[in-house]
Amino acid sequence: MVSKVHFVSILTLLISIIINLFPLPELVTPYKPPLLMLVLIYWSLAFPKIINLTYAFVFGIIMDVLLLMPLGYNAFLYTITIYLIIKLYPQIRLHSVRNQIFSLLIILFPYFIMSTFTNNMLNISYDILEVLISMIISILIWPLLFSVLRFIRLKYIA
Amino acid sequence: MSSELHFRNERFIITKLLFFSFLSIFFLFADINLKYSNEVRKKFSHVIQPIYSLAALPLGTYNSISTYLTSRNNLILKKKELEKKVLIQSGIIQKIPSLQEENKRLKKLLYSANNSSSSKIQMAELIRVNLNPFHNKIIINEGRNKNLFIGQTVIDSVGILGQVSEINNDFSVVTLITDPDHALLGINARTNKRIIISGIGDNRKLIAKYIPLNEDIQEGDIIITSGLDNVFPEGYLIGQVSIINRKESNDFLNVFVTPSSSLSSNREVMLLW
Repeated sequence: MVSKVHFVSILTLLISIIINLFPLPELVTPYKPPLLMLVLIYWSLAFPKIINLTYAFVFGIIMDVLLLMPLGYNAFLYTITIYLIIKLYPQIRLHSVRNQIFSLLIILFPYFIMSTFTNNMLNISYDILEVLISMIISILIWPLLFSVLRFIRLKYIA
Repeated sequence: MSSELHFRNERFIITKLLFFSFLSIFFLFADINLKYSNEVRKKFSHVIQPIYSLAALPLGTYNSISTYLTSRNNLILKKKELEKKVLIQSGIIQKIPSLQEENKRLKKLLYSANNSSSSKIQMAELIRVNLNPFHNKIIINEGRNKNLFIGQTVIDSVGILGQVSEINNDFSVVTLITDPDHALLGINARTNKRIIISGIGDNRKLIAKYIPLNEDIQEGDIIITSGLDNVFPEGYLIGQVSIINRKESNDFLNVFVTPSSSLSSNREVMLLW
């Protein structure tokens, strides 16, 4: 059971990394939601004892290497966010998917605040409007992502 | 019993949180000062390259299918158009040797050093993947085996694109001139004044820094590379001055330059030796 969880979650995380790397039109690129983050959130909601901070850190490092970012940037943000999930999962799990959107907003808010904070610290230029729109898009695709990942979980992890 | 277990678990998670966040912050600052993430990427380039190609696959397949499905008439039309273009351009090229000779003669008269222009040009293909939006970097499919070097100039058909900043076995990273970390020394072609051009992270805009308020600069001025930075060869097109904000309260002019090269829509780039 545990090894199955590891296998399926790592597979979906890798697929989401590749989807994250897909080339998009120039206009849409800044508003791209952090897909890997959302998938990580789903798995840590489902199996908080198995998919926890180690996963967040390791996949964050992988993401940094692939996206040519300073090493540790995504790892830091993912670790903080997954920590919040692990703290709050009993409450979030009880909500319906529609209400989860709002709790996700609360979870993702620190993520985007931290990302702009880190950007400021590292002198990376960004547009606050783009960050906000990307946040809204990521909570809007959550129900779809949730149902897809739930389907995968029910099918492959009994 | 169970509450005690819960408590232990809680403390364990907090320890883990502190450990990982300190580790990542440590990595972050170490990487900014030492830039060792290049080394990490070099070590794992055999793993990274397939991931990039996999991510670039759908667009590549779409492109090849669409070329396969273009009608014969369209191809003939395109061929005619290209032939016309080649004819016009070779007409222009005819004059270049005589111009070069003239240039050499004039430079001799002025006793200035004659820097020879670069000779070899090679094409490289872009690996189109979606990198992070804060940096303006592209990945090309040529690596160490093609004798690339750090700081090599990358151009496209209309202007300068950037420089090679990282070389791995099967792919290299090119930092575009619009990257916030990038700056180069240009020359205003009309007045021959030097201008520092740096990126701000936007692919449609460059900023010209430290220009005094009384400088002779106009909208529409063409900026070319100066060759003084020892990275870019002289005389390549950077862009055109688009906006000038003259504010008396500022110390310097606020000048924006539109890059001439199509920084976001290229499929192939050229490397200069």
